[in-house]
Amino acid sequence: MIETQAFSKLKPLAESIKQTHLKSLFTDDVNRFEQFHVQTEHLLYDFSKQKIDAEVLQELLNLATESDLQPWIEKLFAGEKINQTEDRAAWHTALRDINNPLPEVAQQWHKMEHLVDLMHSHQLRGFSGNAITDVVNIGVGGSDLGPLMVTYALESDKLPIAPDVHFVSTLDARQLQRLLKRLNPSTTLFIIASKSFTTIDTLSLAETAKEWIEASSPSQESTLRHFIGISTNPTKMSEWGILPQLQLEFWDWVGGRYSLWSAIGLSIAFELGMQGYKDLLAGAHAMDTHFKTTPFEKNIPVLLGLIGIWNTNFLDLTAQAILPYDSRLKYFASYLEQLEMESNGKSTRRDGTATTYRTCPILWGEVGPNAQHAFYQLLHQGTERVMSDFILFTQGQSSSERAKFHQNLNIANCLAQSRALMIGKSSEDLNKNYPGDQVSNTLLVNQLNAFHLGMLVALYEHKVFVQSVVWRINPFDQWGVELGKKLAINILEHIDSHTTEELDTSTAGILNTIWKQQNEN
Amino acid sequence: MKINVFGSNISALVCAGCLAETGNQVTLIGNRDKERSEPGLLKLLDTQLDAGRLEFSTGYDIDADYQILSLEPGNCSEAKLIAKSLAAGTNSNTCLIVRSNFTMGTFKTITELSQKPCIMNPDFASEGRAIVGFMRPDRIIIGSHAPQAIKSFKRLFSPFNRNHNVIIEMSPESAELTKYATNAMLATRISLMNELAQAAEHLGADIEEVRQGLGADQRIGKAYLYAGTGFGGADFEIDLSRIQKIIHDSGSDEGLLKAVSLINEQQKEVLFRKIWQHFNCQLDDKTVAIWGISYKPNSNSLEGAPSLSLIKALLNQGCSLKIFDPMLEANFTIWMRETLPLEQQKRIEICADMYETTEQTDALCVITEWQLFYSPNLETLKANMRTPIILDGRNLYDKQWMEENQFIYYGIGR
Repeated sequence: MIETQAFSKLKPLAESIKQTHLKSLFTDDVNRFEQFHVQTEHLLYDFSKQKIDAEVLQELLNLATESDLQPWIEKLFAGEKINQTEDRAAWHTALRDINNPLPEVAQQWHKMEHLVDLMHSHQLRGFSGNAITDVVNIGVGGSDLGPLMVTYALESDKLPIAPDVHFVSTLDARQLQRLLKRLNPSTTLFIIASKSFTTIDTLSLAETAKEWIEASSPSQESTLRHFIGISTNPTKMSEWGILPQLQLEFWDWVGGRYSLWSAIGLSIAFELGMQGYKDLLAGAHAMDTHFKTTPFEKNIPVLLGLIGIWNTNFLDLTAQAILPYDSRLKYFASYLEQLEMESNGKSTRRDGTATTYRTCPILWGEVGPNAQHAFYQLLHQGTERVMSDFILFTQGQSSSERAKFHQNLNIANCLAQSRALMIGKSSEDLNKNYPGDQVSNTLLVNQLNAFHLGMLVALYEHKVFVQSVVWRINPFDQWGVELGKKLAINILEHIDSHTTEELDTSTAGILNTIWKQQNEN
Repeated sequence: MKINVFGSNISALVCAGCLAETGNQVTLIGNRDKERSEPGLLKLLDTQLDAGRLEFSTGYDIDADYQILSLEPGNCSEAKLIAKSLAAGTNSNTCLIVRSNFTMGTFKTITELSQKPCIMNPDFASEGRAIVGFMRPDRIIIGSHAPQAIKSFKRLFSPFNRNHNVIIEMSPESAELTKYATNAMLATRISLMNELAQAAEHLGADIEEVRQGLGADQRIGKAYLYAGTGFGGADFEIDLSRIQKIIHDSGSDEGLLKAVSLINEQQKEVLFRKIWQHFNCQLDDKTVAIWGISYKPNSNSLEGAPSLSLIKALLNQGCSLKIFDPMLEANFTIWMRETLPLEQQKRIEICADMYETTEQTDALCVITEWQLFYSPNLETLKANMRTPIILDGRNLYDKQWMEENQFIYYGIGR
């Protein structure tokens, strides 16, 4: 990145614009919004509350071109093995090519549809012969967050014939145990969602679930009626005991954090029906088409990514807040935490050298109106410079007067906060002084339904890709998470053998305290 | 007396036939499509037609003394249209009798529209016993505020009220609610018995023995205490959902009747669960024989029939089916075509003989208590079937007799 001409031009521009207050950019140019927004049929991206001018924007676009963004986009869509450290493609766009699917993708849709039909016609049966009424998705990371985020967001579109869908991910099993207390084993189905089907978090929970069913079920055969497996590894699924007709597959070219578009989305299809699931894919596909074919200056993921780079690498902002003004997007920030930080939270470039610049900022977020009563204080008067994404939907919950009133209140709050962050307010009393000058994006989406949510998620996926290309890193591996997994196995062995040899004194000290307290209890 | 009867359902046909038989001149504004599904009805109608006391027509007799509305419970709007036309086109002394089970309040609207003295006279007779139910009723309920009409109604129904007086007079609202309350009570008894049947299986008790002990209590009585595969019948289920709404709208909790419906829906699959468990959740290579499709004997009605739930459940698990019902008619073929995918339809074989149905089958399910099923030839069954398993959805058979003949027997609650 730093070798580019655009970079060397952007550096001094940043130094100069840092001295300008964001609000003065608006007072200096009454047409600022016109110049710095993009609108499509489905959404509006307003980046006028960013500290940029026409020259900066042009150089950022040049940076993208100099970084070979267009050829990289083509490699992404062609399914080339751009995840080089794992020698795999990252072909999630092929999962949602709704009109022209790969044969293996279409085949899995067909198998999913069959299961969804059986479920919705109350013909998916447990050991007693009763129809399944509850589905528990056991998965972690991408096998959990995507379906959880989507099913929560679209709960109002849940079909009346759909089962109740629950999510369990934490390996301490407390979530699972709490759920099992109120579920009936004869009518509960578990989805074991694991890309490798070896993840200890998921498989330990699956075993606990299996024991729970076995306590009521008369035979091994009938127990296995309660487990659907979704994995890239059919051999492992069969070894575990998943029945062939209850196995769904995806492929190593689907990254875990991109897997909600694959059969991992089964829980979404159970809730919304296959049509709802396909609407989600269609929305993502529409964003794919936009990303692939739109010139960079009108390309929303490209612009979103470049603005992020501008803020991180030139204006030295350190954190990214995600602020949806819709309670249905409760899990959206958590979803993006994984998508962005697991993808671009890296410091090694594709060529194996270390980066000499910052990459993914710390990202966090919360439903806007709730966050107003939590961390907005820091945004308005803290010492940290932060970039924010405000996400707002045009349509409210319904056309009733009360719904309109609440939606207007919501819109007013969203716009007030981004405006307050921008303009600030001076006061002699420092307690009442608001410096302003905090940048933000606003994404205004027509409505929250499967199609638009698919589009929004795909937008952020491509933003992440754009940034990875400019930073010259591989966003599709996650070697950072491996060390902890290995050490956990090692420490578990120490716990099993009750020894602390070769452990550091901190780890040993904590273990000894735990053992002592356990003995006392 | 001259009478118009509006409607084509069994209730309308029986009413028209019985009133013609007692010497009245009856015009039936409707059709005879359902006459075959009720025992004795065909003969009753033919006799009255031949005698000239009954005629089928598209228009009503404007001189009639009585107008009887006996439409399907869902036809409230048609009833209102008829009421409106009667207001103008009939003699002023005519009296309007509503026997249909419309939504609560419809009677009041009909009264206003027709501008005639009206009577709410709910039909309590059940299908399969409809003629006897009309001729010798337990009770004749008159819900009306019109004294002249009540007098006139009593005259018309006197042939059916000779042995002892079974007429009960009340307000139209009470009469409407009495009909709903009757079905709600019957449904509740059945679902309770089905729940108790499950408990009986769990405890090793026999629900048949429990039923006899329970029914001997005069406070409870013997009727409607049979555990089985759940109740059916379109009107019954509509009534149950309507009374749930009435109770809900009145501000009360509807929990009890919701549970009654839910238990019933689950009970319709009780035999499926037994087969599923018997074969350890593996049914895709099995062929199952089914005796009885209609929801009750002596009827071809399929509305809400438990057999349909069983058929769907078995087909979805990959079974092949061979079925027999003495009155199986086109309505079953239509149901298959409208409900089942072609691939599933192909796995159903309809047999003309009850024993042929059992050839090369892995289990026999008896769903409807037609009389010809009561005493089957077990030797023939054993010779025909691949495995001698009988699932008795109506507890028709002596369990011991079955077991002595080496049958694996599953009843309900025993």
